[in-house]
Amino acid sequence: MKKEINFVLNDSEVTIAVETHKRLIDILRGPLNLHGTREGCGEGECGACTVIVDSRAVNSCLYPAIEVEGKKVITIEGLLNRGNQLSAIQKAFVEKGGIQCGFCTPGMIMSTKALLDSNPNPTDEEIRNTLVGNLCRCTGYVQIIDSVKLAANTLKKSK
Amino acid sequence: MNKFNYFNPKSLKEIWELKEKYPDSWYIAGGTDLMVKIKNREIKPSTLISLRSIPELSVIKTEDVISIGSLTTITDLINHTKLASLFPILIQAAKMIGSPQIRNVATIGGNLCNCSPCADTALPLLVLEARAILTNSKGSREVPLNEFFLGPAKSCLNQTEILTQIHIDKSSSNFQSTFLKKGRVRMDLAIASVAVLLEMKEKTCLQARIAAGSVAPVPLRLYQVEELFQNSIITSEMIKEAQKIALNSISPITDVRSTDVYRREIIGVFIKQAIQELLG
Repeated sequence: MKKEINFVLNDSEVTIAVETHKRLIDILRGPLNLHGTREGCGEGECGACTVIVDSRAVNSCLYPAIEVEGKKVITIEGLLNRGNQLSAIQKAFVEKGGIQCGFCTPGMIMSTKALLDSNPNPTDEEIRNTLVGNLCRCTGYVQIIDSVKLAANTLKKSK
Repeated sequence: MNKFNYFNPKSLKEIWELKEKYPDSWYIAGGTDLMVKIKNREIKPSTLISLRSIPELSVIKTEDVISIGSLTTITDLINHTKLASLFPILIQAAKMIGSPQIRNVATIGGNLCNCSPCADTALPLLVLEARAILTNSKGSREVPLNEFFLGPAKSCLNQTEILTQIHIDKSSSNFQSTFLKKGRVRMDLAIASVAVLLEMKEKTCLQARIAAGSVAPVPLRLYQVEELFQNSIITSEMIKEAQKIALNSISPITDVRSTDVYRREIIGVFIKQAIQELLG
């Protein structure tokens, strides 16, 4: 069974026929060809598949694709500035070494974006509580938290 | 993923029509538990009926009876300032559920209907003596929450019913209460958890309501422990006696998260900690 849905994906309107059992991550990585969103555990534990739906971070591996009808979805690809420049959050992750193998990075960055959009001045504890749903198996979380802090500072200065 | 049909009706009326047409269908709320069960092939529904596009199911009303729509997400619950001031224990527990990504889609109704013995919102709602409103095409019935849970993944909902609202009497907001949860890491399911509510008149405890999680097939009210404290001044001997009675009331299992022995240990400690915290 297929059903046509309309939604806004990274500021562009999308109309697509989806099989009713597909999850959001399936259509992102499949027909929509956006491979930045990763599937780790597929059970909502690791957060590698994190995207933003209507301003809130969600696990796209648990989100039925049909449910994005009429909603606004942002993936890691939607963060690039004009001229394909990395956004402040992405630059901060590169600069502070918040990326190792990179598998968890898109999810980390989307969680960070959702946090900073609603809370531009997060405390260390708020950062940790936000990233509790994003696992990194390469190293530790110190550089990642430093990256979020740098991103917050950069964004504040640019305002 | 198994293939399934998926409907997102816009009204309760449409839901009842779909349910009649697809009697074997499952209802889906936030899906954070259901989608995992489908992926792991624990269940193989051929049709899902989504409750997410029905606005009336996510309404919160704070009148004499507080009514929380079952589709209220955990995030919306936490952000509701009026609820937080009325029932801080509920918000305290809600904040301990999963990750932001989970809380943004998981619902209070889903947390209850999944019928996990460790459901974080179940314990505060049990000690607040909340009632579940169950509705189908024929009408609604009200069930005290302690009668709602029948076992792991088993509630008293019949095949067609939906949990539509959770009702709590405003008078329950007059009591002091607290929730304690032990998990391995921040976003873990509870190894064990305890909720305690005390109605105090100066130094006398008029009534106590105590519930425990992850230590029985259902989130459990510990009535025998409660009786001990009724109309009495709570002493440390009484707390010791309460710990003993609690251990006889629960039946924890050993699983991947903990041994039964450790769970017993935690319940004893938590009952003491919670009561001491409330007595100040």
